[in-house]
Amino acid sequence: MAINNKKKGKGAVDFTLFLSVMMLVFIGIIMVFSASWPESMMKFGNGYYFLKKQLVSGILGFFVLLLCMNLDYKIYKKFSFPIYILSIISGLLLFTPLGVEIKGATRWLNLGFTTIMPSDIIKIGSVIFFAAFLTNKRDKIDSLAHGTIPALVYIGISCGIIVAEDLGTAITLAGTMMAMFFVAGMKLFHLIPLTVGAMGALWYAVNDPDHPHRIKRITAFRDPFADKLGSGWQVVQSLYALGSGGLFGLGLGKSRQKFFYISESYNDFIFAIIGEELGLLGALFVLILFMIVIWRGIVISLKIEDIYGCFLATGITALVAVQSFIHIAVVTSSIPTTGITLPFISFGGTSLIINMAAIGILLNISRHVNFGRS
Amino acid sequence: MSAPSKSSKKRLKFTLFISFFIVCFLIYRLGKLQVFESDELRKGALEQWTKSIEIKPKRGIIYDRNGKKLAVSVNAFTVWATPADIKDPEKTSKAIAEVLDIDEKTINEKITQRQSVVKIKQWITGEEANELRKLNLSGVSVVEDNKRYYPNENFASYILGFTDIDNNGLDGIEKIYDDYLTGTPGKWMKMTDAANRQLPYDGEKIYEPQNGTSIVLTVDETIQYFAEKAAQQALIEQKAKNVSVIVMEPNTGDILAMTTKPDFDPNNPREPLDDKLKKQWKDLPVEELNEKWYELWRNFAVSDIYEPGSTFKVITAAAALEENTATLDTHYYCNGFIRDIKGAVLKCVRWYNPHGSQSLKEAMNNSCNVAFVNMGRQLGKENFYKYIKAFGFGEKTKIDLLGEQPGIIPSSTDVIKEVNLATMSYGHGIAVTPIQLINAVSAISNGGDLMKPRLVKEMVDDEGKIVNSFEPEVIRKVVSKQTSKTVLSLLESVVSEGSGSRAYIPGYKVGGKTGTAQKIIDGRYAPGKYIGSFVGVAPIDNPQIAILVIVDEPSAGTYYGGSVAAPVAKTVLEETFNYLEIPPKYSEDDEVIEMVKVPDVRNKTIGNAGRILTELDLKYTTEYAELTNESKIIDQFPLPGVEVQVGSIVDLYMDAKATNKLTMPYLVGKSKDEVIKILNDMNLKYDLKGKGNAVMQDPQPGEEIDKNIKIVVKFE
Repeated sequence: MAINNKKKGKGAVDFTLFLSVMMLVFIGIIMVFSASWPESMMKFGNGYYFLKKQLVSGILGFFVLLLCMNLDYKIYKKFSFPIYILSIISGLLLFTPLGVEIKGATRWLNLGFTTIMPSDIIKIGSVIFFAAFLTNKRDKIDSLAHGTIPALVYIGISCGIIVAEDLGTAITLAGTMMAMFFVAGMKLFHLIPLTVGAMGALWYAVNDPDHPHRIKRITAFRDPFADKLGSGWQVVQSLYALGSGGLFGLGLGKSRQKFFYISESYNDFIFAIIGEELGLLGALFVLILFMIVIWRGIVISLKIEDIYGCFLATGITALVAVQSFIHIAVVTSSIPTTGITLPFISFGGTSLIINMAAIGILLNISRHVNFGRS
Repeated sequence: MSAPSKSSKKRLKFTLFISFFIVCFLIYRLGKLQVFESDELRKGALEQWTKSIEIKPKRGIIYDRNGKKLAVSVNAFTVWATPADIKDPEKTSKAIAEVLDIDEKTINEKITQRQSVVKIKQWITGEEANELRKLNLSGVSVVEDNKRYYPNENFASYILGFTDIDNNGLDGIEKIYDDYLTGTPGKWMKMTDAANRQLPYDGEKIYEPQNGTSIVLTVDETIQYFAEKAAQQALIEQKAKNVSVIVMEPNTGDILAMTTKPDFDPNNPREPLDDKLKKQWKDLPVEELNEKWYELWRNFAVSDIYEPGSTFKVITAAAALEENTATLDTHYYCNGFIRDIKGAVLKCVRWYNPHGSQSLKEAMNNSCNVAFVNMGRQLGKENFYKYIKAFGFGEKTKIDLLGEQPGIIPSSTDVIKEVNLATMSYGHGIAVTPIQLINAVSAISNGGDLMKPRLVKEMVDDEGKIVNSFEPEVIRKVVSKQTSKTVLSLLESVVSEGSGSRAYIPGYKVGGKTGTAQKIIDGRYAPGKYIGSFVGVAPIDNPQIAILVIVDEPSAGTYYGGSVAAPVAKTVLEETFNYLEIPPKYSEDDEVIEMVKVPDVRNKTIGNAGRILTELDLKYTTEYAELTNESKIIDQFPLPGVEVQVGSIVDLYMDAKATNKLTMPYLVGKSKDEVIKILNDMNLKYDLKGKGNAVMQDPQPGEEIDKNIKIVVKFE
């Protein structure tokens, strides 16, 4: 694997990780094209609208990845606080007239020439900052006053900004930061009241009278077929897609469910279209690619001899892992529905570019690892 | 730069393990869904992708015997909405409301329902359909549909029946032959997206519908028209409750026409034709309305039973002739009464001026009850009962219509007492349906074969090919050809010389018999309510038409069958002969017609008037009710001075007041049962109070009372 390791930071990148991510991005572009075709035809009269945007984002993302891969990751530690503040500000901008409301949720910022999703920026910003925080507090991390409480405050700030408009991303981010905190050495005993608290918060979020759709999602999860045409619709359509795909799939491009049975099939339910068109085999292939990414990510964290690099790698890996697991679990109706995209694959420029940037950082960390030693 | 702690590395390994576990779980979920539950889910998915649109078959046509269309299917349009595709429900409902003239709110409610498709309105006009299509509203479609249409409106309604809004037959031929008329629906299968647009893959499949079979009736539209016209006219002129006309072809049992007025328009069967009724019905509660509808749809000709009265004498005569207990040479003596039955005195129609000695022919012409009682007695109750059954009374004729009644005849000979035998001989104490009577008379006219009434001749497919035909069906031989001929000659003489003369048509030999019977309501004779009827056959030499006319509750003055029903039959027969091109044959008798002026008999007693009319060779009829020789005639028809043929009938009407007077019987001391029997026999209304024996009565015994007052009796 490691071909040479001359100077630190100039070693070879983790090629397996690079290849897996590039395959995921490639599959993503193809699947976005396939899944978005009907809606693209209906709305814009040509089937390539989403493909073009995703392709541009993919190419842009590729260059960002290359850039990050060659930029020493340690620089993020230096600027971790300003990065964090900027990402939080981008989130706060949602509450200004710059925020764009689409389908009842204000998740986008209109920058004039393009729209971006601040939640993606907050995700990466939080991971960069939190890794630095954990590094600085490494000796007192297991104390309540210097470890757990400040950690929870930062988690709360990061997630609090996005939770109202995007519960799914907030959960992803919370999971990611908790994973980092866990790896950094949080006191396991503190986990008990924390779990209780998280349960409580979740219970509150679900039963929040301002968001009545959340409780419906729970009932729809228990028995989606009970209200097939109503609250169970999304889940049932996703299951129909997977079921009709079977072992080998209907063939690339031949999904029926993308014809408006699954809404935004190129987004929160793209894995269902993969299952329908490419079958169990295709779905497993994608799942295994994700497993490889996660495996390589954790291996890099294990091998890196720098604590900040370890926490940063952990955070980036967790970000990909939590989000992809939640997406696939939703699609297979293993957990209640919460709208969340599949990293590298789902349509969305900000998300794709940021994720590829994150992988670039991870690859840069891998260049500091001496794989040959193990 | 410091290295991560050992604990961090442990925890990282643990995290890797957890991730691996989660991936395994997700693989398990995927495998379960995509392999083990795949078939079931695929089935559900297929179901939602595949839209099968029913292609409605065209309902078969109902033709008359000559191929004229009586019920057809025409193109109509139905408006459907797919709520999911409607972007602006308020605008859409407003636009639809303007074109279709329905309430905006109702439409809005319909198009906001959580359903894949909603029917907005069925059967809009072509213009409305065009206008709606022009508006090009998304989610609203106008679909071509079939609608049942009866071009002649209220014509043969009771035969045809009608359908509901979805073309299901509900009554008449539409109901009985519904399965044949409906056909088999076709299907249009296609794969669609969630908004019902066809998917680019998987072609569509069309299974053609099989159109309904058409029905050819035995009914002749033209004769039906004659019958309807005549019945409607009689209904108005006689101010009757119902007028029913049935025309039958005796040799085949074919129903050529069958109508009852008033009727309904099968295009709109729930609305009465009469404007006044329409208003009345508007405010009725649903339950009452239901009752009214069923009353309106009730086919008098097969569903109502009535006492045939004198028309039944044809059956008595046929039975007696067949059994040889009577011949044309048999003579009967009428002294006005039958007095030898215990507990009952039966009167002849003309008891105040008895017929005296008369041949069988004269007895029939005179419609003499006494003669027929004797004829029935000579026949014997076993024989008589045998023929009543053989002619099909007491059982359904199995005509292809709904709601047929079997009528009421004694359950066995054991229950026929002397008085029953006597009254049945002249058609009382027995209840028949119109279709039974005309069928029996048809049997007598065709040489003795009782036929099953035939309403449907054949079924034809789309291209006019006969797929099924129904042959005339003989149920049984009832009387011989000889008897048939003899009875026909008797019937001819009734029309040419007897009570049926108002059905006489010069040049044609028409036979027939009139009947007048008091109606029975709730088991009692209803005062003032009569059914006048006439049953006829023509031409006598070679019968081709049997006709029955029933006028229910005529109230324009006269109610004798000879006056209210016979002229109706005459009109229909005359027009039918013309239409069927049956040429008249004038005999010498017809050419010499002696005329006589009707005398004024008003204010004379019945006895005197009778004598005057008989001397002038005129016949006369009066009502059955209690008369005395002193009863005064208050009116007559035709009026004095009118020239009529010799042998014509003059209807006489009595002073109702005089006949309404009765003497109050003595009731005190009698038991309740006895009192009820006495008062019932006198046809009086009463109010009984208390239990035990009568102690007080009002009015007092011996007082002259009016028939219509209420008797009060107190018991203790």
